[in-house]
Parts: sequence; structure tokens; C-alpha cells
Amino acid sequence: MELPLLARVQEGDSAFHLTTASDAGALTLTEMPAGSFCATGPRDRLPHAPRPGEQYRFHFDMTRCIGCKCCVVACNEQNGNPADILWRRVGEIEGGAYPHTHRHYLSMGCNHCLEPTCMTGCPVDAYSKDGLTGIVRHSAEACIGCQYCTWNCSYGVPQYNPERGVVGKCDMCYGRLTRGQEPACAAACPEDAIRIEVVQVDEWRKQYHATANSPGMPSADDSISTTRITLPEKLPGDVRKVDLTHLRPEHAHWPLILMTVLTQLSAGAFTAIWMLQAFGAQTHRSAALVALVVAALALSASTLHLGRPIYAIRALKMWRRSWLSREVLLFTLFAHAAAAYSMALWLGLRSTVVLGALTAILGLCGVGASARLYLAPGRPAWNSPLTIVEFLGTMALLGACGANVLTHAATGARYAVLCAFSLTLVIAGIKLVWLARSRVHELHGVWQLLTTVFSNHLAVRFMLPCVGIALLPFVQSVWVSIATVLLVLAGEFTSRYLFFVTVVPTNMASEYLVQEAA
Amino acid sequence: MKLLRWLAHKSGLDIRSSKYSYGLDPVLGFTSARKHAERWVNSTCGYCSVGCGMQLGVKDGRVVSVRGNPHHPVNRGKLCPKGLAEHYAIDAEGRARYPLLRNDGQLTRVSWDEALDTMVNRFRAVQRKYGPESLGVISTGQLVTEEFYTLGKLVQLGLGTRNYDGNTTLCMSTAVAGYKRSFGSDGPPGAYEDLERADVILLIGANVAENHPILCTRLEENRSKTLIVADPRVTKTAMMADIYLPVKPRSDLALLNAMLRIVVEEELYDKDFVAAHTTGFEELRASLAPCTLEYAARITGLDAALIRKIALLYAHAKAAFIGWTMGVNHSTKGTETVNAINNLALLTRNIGRPGAAPFSITGQCNAMGTREAGFTSGIPGYRKFEDENDREEIARLWNVPVGRIPTQRGLAYPDIIEGAVAGKIRALWILGTNPLVSFPNIDVLKHALGNLDFLVVQDGFHPTPTTELADLVLPAAIWGEKEGTYTNSERRVSKVNAAVAPPGEARTDFDIFLAIAERLSCKQELFPGWREPRDAFDEWCRVSAGRLCDYSGMSYAQLKSSSGIQWPFPQGSSSSAPATHRLYSDGIFQTEDGRARLLATQWTPFPEQPNAEFPLILNTGRTVEHWHTRTKTGAISILQRMSPRAWLEMNPQDAARLNLQARDRVEVISARGRVSRVELRVTEIVGPGQVFLPFHFAETNANQITQSAFDPISREPNYKQCAVRVERSPSSSPQPHRTSSRHRNAKGGSS
Repeated sequence: MELPLLARVQEGDSAFHLTTASDAGALTLTEMPAGSFCATGPRDRLPHAPRPGEQYRFHFDMTRCIGCKCCVVACNEQNGNPADILWRRVGEIEGGAYPHTHRHYLSMGCNHCLEPTCMTGCPVDAYSKDGLTGIVRHSAEACIGCQYCTWNCSYGVPQYNPERGVVGKCDMCYGRLTRGQEPACAAACPEDAIRIEVVQVDEWRKQYHATANSPGMPSADDSISTTRITLPEKLPGDVRKVDLTHLRPEHAHWPLILMTVLTQLSAGAFTAIWMLQAFGAQTHRSAALVALVVAALALSASTLHLGRPIYAIRALKMWRRSWLSREVLLFTLFAHAAAAYSMALWLGLRSTVVLGALTAILGLCGVGASARLYLAPGRPAWNSPLTIVEFLGTMALLGACGANVLTHAATGARYAVLCAFSLTLVIAGIKLVWLARSRVHELHGVWQLLTTVFSNHLAVRFMLPCVGIALLPFVQSVWVSIATVLLVLAGEFTSRYLFFVTVVPTNMASEYLVQEAA
Repeated sequence: MKLLRWLAHKSGLDIRSSKYSYGLDPVLGFTSARKHAERWVNSTCGYCSVGCGMQLGVKDGRVVSVRGNPHHPVNRGKLCPKGLAEHYAIDAEGRARYPLLRNDGQLTRVSWDEALDTMVNRFRAVQRKYGPESLGVISTGQLVTEEFYTLGKLVQLGLGTRNYDGNTTLCMSTAVAGYKRSFGSDGPPGAYEDLERADVILLIGANVAENHPILCTRLEENRSKTLIVADPRVTKTAMMADIYLPVKPRSDLALLNAMLRIVVEEELYDKDFVAAHTTGFEELRASLAPCTLEYAARITGLDAALIRKIALLYAHAKAAFIGWTMGVNHSTKGTETVNAINNLALLTRNIGRPGAAPFSITGQCNAMGTREAGFTSGIPGYRKFEDENDREEIARLWNVPVGRIPTQRGLAYPDIIEGAVAGKIRALWILGTNPLVSFPNIDVLKHALGNLDFLVVQDGFHPTPTTELADLVLPAAIWGEKEGTYTNSERRVSKVNAAVAPPGEARTDFDIFLAIAERLSCKQELFPGWREPRDAFDEWCRVSAGRLCDYSGMSYAQLKSSSGIQWPFPQGSSSSAPATHRLYSDGIFQTEDGRARLLATQWTPFPEQPNAEFPLILNTGRTVEHWHTRTKTGAISILQRMSPRAWLEMNPQDAARLNLQARDRVEVISARGRVSRVELRVTEIVGPGQVFLPFHFAETNANQITQSAFDPISREPNYKQCAVRVERSPSSSPQPHRTSSRHRNAKGGSS
């Protein structure tokens, strides 16, 4: 078949063809007998290939969708995904009062955003926005399975596949589109509710508010979703997600709990060691070694979080853009500085104070970057300066407790512990009040989880450090100081566990019933 | 090696790239490489009776993918989510693989010879002791027509019992009875094309968006229609409607009669047609006298003006279509309601014209096949037991003495069960159905099955709640593993074909029937020289000749080359005949005088009204992801993922009164039993005073609480309305919710 203005693009081992804009308009393709594809309609269902300044997008017509979920099954068949990974999902929204009830369905794959938060957060550059089609593509080969994108996307689009150790997502059936075939979801829809369109990027940037938003969907502002949604006329104001009543604990991410608390402990400890050296003229060689081991443990633990730990080093790649890369970079530098500082202390070298200061500053920056990366739009309860204060507060508290041990409970150190503890209490209090009073589902939901399923954890989180702190005024034994450290540390671990499990992600509406974990 | 692979995976070196690779398939296009097939087998979907054309992709003896047949006129390449995942049913873990005989209380594997010898000996022993009719047979709507035809002869003439019925009595017998009474014969008069050509479409108790999604394509394509949906629940289909009628439960007959009264009183009916082609007009007119708008408004809860508007819309339509399913059929007034629908169609001549039909949208893939060729409530070919000519004709065709053809039908399904309770039915053969989940008021059924001397269950799956009770389990092939034909709702006969062999020692039902016939020494007489389904089909074509459901012009070769053929298709018909036949285009009906019957009907309240102890009305129904008792779809992980368990819908007003909250686990209790620990959905989908429970789930079986009330004519159960109360389940674990309506999504769009 002769193709008009064929543009041939070679990528890896997969050859594909794209026609550029032509008068005929249709994206047409080679060698395939007409009408031979699964449920593909006529070719004219596909728009022309995007011209410069344009990109492909989904159009979802809610007035046509009957919630049959054909698209979901077709997507999984197309991509060979297991049943618990759905790159396209259908959710339900409901409002009005019987019999003037409104129930509608949302079908959503990836929104192929203009400012993809999955991409900007990715530490290894696994995401790319395709220059020709605007499709946000993900490379499984490049991915290291850090799952940071699953937090950054407010639609919950990227999904981690534990069988592969990498994330995957809807690529608008790139391989089909570039061969002139409709995406599987659009081809399977019996109601013709899903179509592919071409959008003028600049215009969309100005107008997306009007048609990129829908009840039951997170705001398109986060990333400028390109999906155009046709809503029914006269939608009642109270139409909302039917799964609002469904709150469930999120993944605990144990390696991250260990990593964050232990890096904060180590950074706090080195800061204490350095301060004692600089201002108290004390040298704590053994303590530095312990703190170094803690740092090493923390960084090793962090790789266990990855689906592909062997490629952990790749996480440094995108330090110009990704806070995760910056965290890894800063903690790596911190670890090196800490090792050098410890060694210098052991060897009794001069001017170790400067090295100590460097270690403390890198630790502080590392903890800051570490906290900053949790400010993800898809996790509203994390997406607040309180997270940064919280992480730094932990560092200060653990550092002060460390100093307390090293100084055999000197008065100054005890005051420092008390101040740091008061600070963490205030932060925790402010956060709880903020969550409890919030009218935002994803924030108030955290409060609900904390006060129902996790109420015991919450009590333990406060009781442990309180007991530890309460011991301080009475006894000045080093063992008591160590007990205080351990109790406070246990409290911080509990706190961090709660941080991860109680977060309520933003997401599109889901079905009313959600499968329970096996 | 294993350790190395584990390490490669854990370290991230191996990301299963080959498993998740893509490639270009000549049929599927660019898709997951695992779905690529070596060969494609044409077939028809084995779930509902829409009858979608499918193609099964086979690789290495497994069906690896399915797709809608783009050239099939029914679905034009589309499939519903069940169909799109249908190949997983074939590979399901819970398939029945070997014959199992109960020995010392345990089902143990036996050979086919031992299984069938035992079955025949035990049946014969029971029949000798208690009489031939102490044997009951309950079949299904899911075999191929060839098997229904064979089974009917085998049961009625070989085993010699009339007490044979199908689970079709649980779904479509009301439509059958209604058609027979109005038109003189079973047979849906319309075609799917009518959905595209009607200007007024009235759906009564039919949630097609959930149950027949592929038909919605036609509704959607008909942009000039007025779609009216009558349903007490705001279903997905109600959301498609131009006019939604939130009728009170089981008030449809009052609505229809009020519409009829308007049509008659305002003389909106086709006088010529009524005079020439119907009888009973005056009786009908007289019976409608009390059915005023006020009467209907009181019963239905609708506005009188709205009822009148609907009647006028229907009467003035150029072509009006009424579709119905279980909202009408699952009722003690079902047959009368069907007759009222037919009355409306007849008066306004909305029958036999393009776009105009009263039309039952059938449930099971081949319920139509058993209605045509089975031998349960009629003699094959829509012949009547009571009609001497029909009996003589069939006896001649079969070359048996006419005296062996029963003069009356045997017991219907619910009456077979009651017969077992009473000790009259002592042995039972159940095929392709799972009554332990699907039969109303399940405790009665359990009692009945417990009374039996011998229970044989023939099914594609084991264990199911029913096979677990069997004395003998016969493993059968399922869809994808056997050949034959299905008839869909619009009378289209389509071919189904085997793509793969059945698992283990499972055999096709057809083979099993012939093997039983051999043991009964009736194979030569009833099935001379038969070896394959084609032999049954060829005989059935001859037997149906001249009947309304005339297959005589069809052959396997023609069915293979076409995408299904609608009957009537007499010998000599051209295979390029118009794609959609309609029945009764000539106004000649299947009654003795050729006239249709206008029948007086009367609304009465449903049998079990809510009361102080059981104040809520339970409605039951389906969800798009699941099929009937879930033996197939429950084994398919993607469908389970989307619809993992049952739920109970309740209006917020009732929930507030009962102090219940969303996601509470609740007990639904009727006078007969309870369903435990169902997840509550507080929703405006159902009206105050009503609750809805899907019936697919054996774990929370709606039939623990449904009642033993049956339509007096069709014997179909009144699944739809019964009185219940709802309580919070004890030891509900604390729930992390209680979100009140004031909360919205983070930065939620326009909510």
C-alpha cells in the first residue's frame, strides 16, 4: 500500500510507521488486511496524526458510558496484565435523590498530561513524552521499581507490578496507534464512549479547566490532563465518588520506614557529635562509628524498597529534576562525608570539625530532600510543609537523645531533648488538628484511619516517647539515657509507620466494592 | 537453577520481559504476544442469549484469546466483559474432569463405564420400584440445540418419564407462556434491528445495560428514539432513558392496563387490524374499565399525567418496541403481564413491522434452543402435547407408535422439586445447572434433594454447591469444547464449534446421551446411526419443517458460511434472505383460527407484602461481571476483581432509620432464612422501603430468603419481591469510614 507522506521511525527493534498530516487525514497503515483487527472500527475512527504543536488524547463521553467495563477487560487482554493490575479502570459516581438519582461511570486510562508528574519525579528517566504523539510512555527496561511515580500521579495511573519489579501504565496502545489500529479500550467499547482525538497543546493549556475535570476525578491542575470528558447535562451538585466510604490502609513500605528514620537518626547523631566536638570539645569516635553503621544500614534498607535493587545506582541520574534523585545523591554524599569524618576522628586528624560540619550539613540537606520528595500531589496528607518539619523534627529529637547519651545526661542535652520532643509534639498536634478539621476527603480520611483502625498505634506512638522522656529528670544513668533513645526511636518508627499506612491517595472514583487483599 | 532465577528476579535483572512482550498478530493487531493464536475458531458466545459471534484463538491446545467476530451482524465485533474473558472459563481450575461416584459418603473417581452403568441401573431400579415417573430430569439453557433435541427424546422415550424440565422455567417460561396464550405459539416476534428502527422503545423490568450490554449499542445508535424505562430501581439502563418510570415493585401490570385503557378509550388502536386479526377485544375492553389513570397512579406511584403521556407516546409511535426480561418474568403475575404487553402491541399493530415488536430478551445462550427442540413443556417444533395431530406427526417422523408420545406435559421444575419433597420423585438427573444457588427458597430444595435415592449431576464444573450433593458426577464439556448450534433472542441460529478438547475425561453432553441410550437399548430406535451433533441437527431440521421454528432450509455448511440464520427458514429459502425476519408480518398467528388473542388481565399485589416484622421489599438481580451462579465467572480473576462479592443496596432514609452505615456488614432476613454479612451500600439507586441484592453469590445466596411462589401458568418463581428486614451483623469489625457527605475529593474537579 502506498502511504501518503510516510514517516518511518525506528525505535529499538520495533519498527513502526506514522503518517504525518495530510489532506486525507487518516493515520493509515501498511500491509494489514482491512478490518482484520479485533473489533477495530473503520480507520476513519482515528484522527490524523498530530501535527507540530498537537498531540493525541482520549475523549471520554460520560453520557454514553454504561459502566459495562469492556474497556477494562480489553485493556488487560491487550497488555497481558494480571487481574489486579488495571491500566484502565471504571469507577462510579452518584448523586441526586431517588428517583432523580444520577449514577454515572468514569473510564480512565492514562491522561497523557501536558505536565506529567510521573515523569518529572522519576529518578531514572524511565518516562518520556513522545515527541510525535504526546503519549507519556514508560520504559520497563529503564525503570528500577522505586514506585515514586505511583505517588506523584494524582490519578493513580502508574501501577507497580511485583511480578516484574517495575511499574507499568497505559501508553494509549502506542504500538497499535502507530500501526493505524485503535487502542484496545476504544475498540472494545460497545457504546463508542472512548475515542482518540488530536488536541492543540497551547489551546488546551488555556482551556483545559472546562472539560478536563469531572466529579470523581482529581483536579486536572496537578498535571494538566489532556483527556477531554463530556459530562451529562444538569449533573446535580452532590454527585461524588461512590467509594468515598471506603478507606483502607496503604502499603507500609517497611524499607522506607527504616530508611527514613535511620537516616534521620544518623544525621541527628552526626550533628550531635559534631556539635559536641565543636562546642563541647568532646570527641566521640565510637559514637561516630555507630552512627556510620546506622547510615549504612539505612541506605542498604532503601535499596530493598526497589523492585530492581541491582540498578539502585541509576537513581542518581535525574538529580536536576527529581527529588528522589536528590535524596539519593545527598545521602550518598552524607555517607561518604560521615565515613571520612569518622575515619578522621579515629585517626585523630586535625580540622575534623570542618568535616563534621560538612557531614551535619549534608545530613540536614539529605533529610530535607528526603522529606521534600513526599510532597506529592497524589498524597495530600504528605503534600504539606508539615512533612518537612516532621522529618527535621525527628532528626532533631533523635540527635538530642543521642547527645543525651554521649554527655551522660548533661543538663543542656536534657533540655535539648525536652525542646525537641515538645517540638515534635506540637507538630504532631497541629497535623492531627489539621486532618481532623479538614473537609477534604483525602485529609479527613487520614484522621478517620488514625482514630479507628490505627487508634492503638496512635496511642503507642505518643506513649513510648512520653515514657522515655519521663525517665529523664529522675535518673542520670547512661542506661536510662539509652532506654530513652530506644523508646523515642520506637515512637518515631511507629509514627513513620502511621505516616505511610494512613495516607489517603487521591484517585479517580472506583467501583463501590473493592477486592479485599487476599 | 531455581535459585539463580529467583536471584535474577529479586535483584531486578529479570523483569519477565518475554512474558510481557508485544508483537504484531495478523488478526489481533499489535498486542500482548501471549494472546497470539495459531488458529482461529468461529463460534457464538456461551453466556447470554444476545448471541454474539466470537472467534477463539487457539495456541498449543489452549484458547489464549477471544475476540468479537467483526462480521457478525449481532455484535459487529463487540463483546461484553464476560465475553471478552470467556476463554478463562475453559482453563478454570474447578472444571469437572472425571466421573465421580459416591462411595462411603465420598465422591471417588470411577470409569465412565462404571458411572453410566450405575446411573442406568439405579434409575431403572427406582423406576421399577416407584413407577417410571419417579425419575425427574432438570436440564438447562446452555446445551446446544442438538443436545436438547437428543436429550428430549432420550428422557421422554428412552427413560420414559415426562417429569423433565429445564432451568429455563426459572427465567423465560413466562415469556413462553405469554406468547403461547397471545399468539398461539412461542417465538419472539421481533429482531434486534427493531431497536434501531423503533421511534418509541419501552423497556419493562429489563436492565439491558447490565445484562445485555451489546444490545445497548443498538439503542445508542438509534438517536431519534424515545427510550422509556420502567424499573423500581435506578438501573444503569434507567440512566440511559429519556423517560424513566420509577414504578413501585411489581406494579407494571397496572401501568400496562392503564395504557391499554387510554388506547381503547381514546380509540388510538388499529381498528382494522384488531377486527381482522384478533379476538377478545370486547372482553378486554370490559376488563379495562377499572384501570383508570388514578388507579394506575395509586398502584405504580407514577403521576397520572405521565402515565397518559407514555400511553400516547406508545400509541402514536410510528413503530413502538416493548422489551422485557426478568422484572416481568420473575413474578406470579408474569404471564398476565406478558399478555398485557402483547395486548398493547396487538391493539396498535406494533407487531410484525420494522421497529415494532413485543420482545422478550432471553437469558441463557440457548434457552431458545430448548424451547424449540426440547421436549419439556411442549413437543419439539413448538408442538403441543394436547394436540392429536401434533402427536401423530411427531410419532410418524420418529417412527414410533403414537401411544408413546405423552398427551400432557409432566411436572414443571418447581413441581419436580415439590414432588421430591413429597417422595414422589425418587431419582433426579440435573444437567448444566446449579439449583443450590439458583432455586428459590433453597431450604425446600435441600430438603427435596435429601429425599432422593439417587442424584446425578452432569456439569462442566466440580465442585459446585450442587455437584457436592450428588451421588454421581458426570464431567461434561463446556462452551469452546463442543459443536452444535445456539438460537439467540431474535431467533438467529448460530454455530458453536469446538476449539479445544474437554479436560481430563470430560465428554460432550451429546456423547454422554448417546452412551446412555446405548445402555438403555434405545439408541438404534431413537438415534439410528448417530455419531455426531450434525446427525441430530439434520433430523431436527426435518422435524421442524413446516413449523413456526422451521429449520429445514438450514445446514451446517450454510451456518458456517453465514453469521447465523434466523428462523423460520424453510427448505428452499435463500441464504441471502433479509437479515432480519419478523414473525406475524402477515397478521396470521399460530392459533387455530389464525387470530391473536386479546386477553383480559388483572393486577394484584405481589404475594408477600412487607409487614411490621419484615418491612422492606427485596429485589434481586444481576451485575454485568457475573453470570448466573458464578460457576464460570467466579473462576475468572478479572471478573472477580471487578465484582468480588455481593452487596445490599439500601436507601439512605432506611439506613438512617435502622442506624446503619455504608459498608456495615448486614443480615438480610425473611420468614424463610437469612443472608449473612452482606456489605451494605447506602444509595439512592433504590427507593425507600426497597433493598436490592445480586443473586450470583453462593456465599451470600439471595435464595436463602426468596419465596416459594410461582406463576400459576408458567410456573416461574416470583424471585423479585419478598418481605425482609435488615440488621447489622454481629461482630462487625470497626470500619475506618463514616465519611459524611460534607467531604469532597482533594481539589475535586467540579464536585
